[in-house]
Amino acid sequence: MEGESVPLMPYEEYQSNKVHIGTQTKSQDMQQFIHEVAADGTGLHLIDIEQTDERLQLAANFLGMYEARDILVVSARQYGQRPARLFAQAVGARHIVGRFIPGTLTNPLLRTYIEPQIIFVTDPQADNQALSEAIGSKMPVIGICDTNNNLRNVDLCIPANNKGRRSLALIYWLLAREVLKARGFMDDETWQHTQNIEDWESSF
Amino acid sequence: MSKKAEVCTASGLPLTERMSTAFPCPSCGEGIGRSARCRNQGVPYICPGCGFKGP
Repeated sequence: MEGESVPLMPYEEYQSNKVHIGTQTKSQDMQQFIHEVAADGTGLHLIDIEQTDERLQLAANFLGMYEARDILVVSARQYGQRPARLFAQAVGARHIVGRFIPGTLTNPLLRTYIEPQIIFVTDPQADNQALSEAIGSKMPVIGICDTNNNLRNVDLCIPANNKGRRSLALIYWLLAREVLKARGFMDDETWQHTQNIEDWESSF
Repeated sequence: MSKKAEVCTASGLPLTERMSTAFPCPSCGEGIGRSARCRNQGVPYICPGCGFKGP
């Protein structure tokens, strides 16, 4: 935990993709991850990028402890759907984007029933159906939490902007790289050359 | 990965409830347990192995 660690990506890159931009509202739970309020008068809370980077490393390490097929990635948010799908395809995980069919994690009679071991949600608030089913199934939950989210039923929080198109693309792109690196399948240079962050952005 | 936790790391309650969970520490792999109430209230946990503070 202690000691200087090399960031996954230069902090300027995080800032240019607006990973640090929060919302005008903040929750008490997220107070520890908030760096300051934007000085431009918008009232937006800014997230501490160093903590985001550290948590991304931890999340990749955590996901690496599970079999790829046991990981479920969920995104109800429009902007998170393409990055979540590409992340799942890259690491071999399962994904549910768009509407989460109730009972997917709890009703064995359902055709879509699955039994993952860990769940990754793009926004604990938007993905509340998946979250409530996951906690009922005793699954650990990783969530990308913005400044307005609370940490209810989240077991590992990644403090970051979970509403931005570019922000979500960068987070999932980085996470996929780190999970594959942890498994020994990838190195930074190959990933950089084969995967373009812009291709991970949702477009419509 | 070390042994799975049997009690909540924050409250010490046994992990018998339906909404409790046990997982390896994201930092060191030591077993961490969270009771249903601690999860629901977002009570912070500290890893007994490395001192990582979550969530």
